[in-house]
Amino acid sequence: MTPEAIVRVEGLVKDFRPGFGRRKTRVLKGIDFEVREGEVFGFIGPNGAGKTTTLKVLMGLIHATAGDARVLGHPVTESAYRASIGYAPESPYFYDFLTGREILDFYARLTAVPDALRADRVAEILEQVGLTHAADARLRTYSKGMLQRIGIAQAVVHDPSVVFLDEPMSGLDPVGRKEVRDLIVALNRAGKTIMMNTHILHDVEMICDRVAIIVDGSIAYEGVIDGFDSAGEKIYDVTLASLAPDFVEEIATGLDVAPSGRGERVTFRVPEKDVNGLVESALRRGGRLLEVLGHRSDLEALFLSTVNECKENGEGSA
Amino acid sequence: MTGLRAIQTIAANTLRDAVRSRVLYVLLFFSLVMIASSVTLAAFSYVERERIIQDIALSSIRFFGAAIAIFVGVGLVHREVERRTIYTILSKPVTRAQFIIGKYLGLVATLWIQLAVMACGYFAICELNGAVLGSGDAIAVGLIAVELSVVVAFATLFSSFATPFLAASYSVGLYMVGHLTRDLRVIGEGSGSETVASLTVWLERLLPDLSAFNRVMEAIHDLPIPPVEVGAELLQGIAWTVAFLAIAAWTFERRDFR
Repeated sequence: MTPEAIVRVEGLVKDFRPGFGRRKTRVLKGIDFEVREGEVFGFIGPNGAGKTTTLKVLMGLIHATAGDARVLGHPVTESAYRASIGYAPESPYFYDFLTGREILDFYARLTAVPDALRADRVAEILEQVGLTHAADARLRTYSKGMLQRIGIAQAVVHDPSVVFLDEPMSGLDPVGRKEVRDLIVALNRAGKTIMMNTHILHDVEMICDRVAIIVDGSIAYEGVIDGFDSAGEKIYDVTLASLAPDFVEEIATGLDVAPSGRGERVTFRVPEKDVNGLVESALRRGGRLLEVLGHRSDLEALFLSTVNECKENGEGSA
Repeated sequence: MTGLRAIQTIAANTLRDAVRSRVLYVLLFFSLVMIASSVTLAAFSYVERERIIQDIALSSIRFFGAAIAIFVGVGLVHREVERRTIYTILSKPVTRAQFIIGKYLGLVATLWIQLAVMACGYFAICELNGAVLGSGDAIAVGLIAVELSVVVAFATLFSSFATPFLAASYSVGLYMVGHLTRDLRVIGEGSGSETVASLTVWLERLLPDLSAFNRVMEAIHDLPIPPVEVGAELLQGIAWTVAFLAIAAWTFERRDFR
């Protein structure tokens, strides 16, 4: 196991038997992936691909048929290490006769947050998820967005180092989605490693460092979202204007990806080492620099091509 | 220590959840009505009026206590799985066995509170009607508490793998059989078949003997109850409870929560 691997899954298989006498269904077909320290890892795939099953195996809610799954170096069948992890399930349901403060106190007790610190910790988390105003209201009066935030709050009330989120933006309106997204970014900035199941690609593009795409129980892709070239160097999109056509042609011949342009704006995709040279020569030839942005892959295109490729092959290319 | 704390937290929350159950209050209400109506029913008798009051009242406590234990107990674990509240609990450092024990203790605490209310009603009715109360009454109520603990244990076991309807059916069945355990050997011996006789002997050994916790007759007639026997019945109750909870934890450990 590499030292920075917080979650490591190897050859994970899960079979379900729909009922007595029926044939078993293989939901996970020997998947491998890892989540590294400090990253936001997006686990994406179509509905029914095996995302939630994988997460439930990692949480010990479902027993794997074969393979190995470890979190923080511990087999997921253990219990004690879970004091260091947090989990927010999809559409969480809580004891709705409790208030926001009481439910967080309940989970803080389960995770052995010391008595002397518990009340302050609960208040701090309520503040962090923006629910201080509703702390003493019963959960049955909470909106879906508020419950989603309480779901994340209970996952981090004991200050875990790894947080697992299952469809955290599911069913939320744009405002709710942004709030939850901001919360995830804040948790990551606070040093937490985050693994997030979702099929909302826009959110993944905005906050995830790496993704794995699962299709029909197999990992079809695992890699970064930020663009890197084959040598592992970061790629940038440089947008310039007022360029002579011959200059554009001259530059384009040395590039892997053809420049794209709209009007007089032309965007070149170049590795980090070539950014300065390109900008300097463009400025010398009378061009204008409009922007330099770190390139992000078109996740939707990657996702769709991966899914379609798997469908054509009849299975994921694990 | 963390495990004990988790059990305590789950038990306290279960108690808090259970006392909101309407079924529980309806059954408690009817048990108190039955205890109070024992006075009216006893009025039809010319002899031993006080003993009839005691008999009806204590039997009501046993019956309604068991009804509460079964009908609240059978949904105990199933509801947590159905509502998916169990996901967030088991993702914390809580083992499935600790979860089962916590749920069990929470419901036992709920039942003992109900039993205390019913016992207060019983003692008040006896006091008001001149029935003589002795240590036998306290022992009888105490053993009802032990019996209810065993009933909750098997209701919890059935709740760990079956739907509430099936769990209730199994629990009612086991409760009824548990009161006939002592008759099984007699039935087997009287059958004239060696196979039936040996089968009934094995069933008698396998099934809990709930009638062992019934000391109502001794309490009513103020007969001595040897402390050794009470101790043995208490140990028997603990052994059955541990056995049922161990099977429940074992079963629950193997489940997938899809």
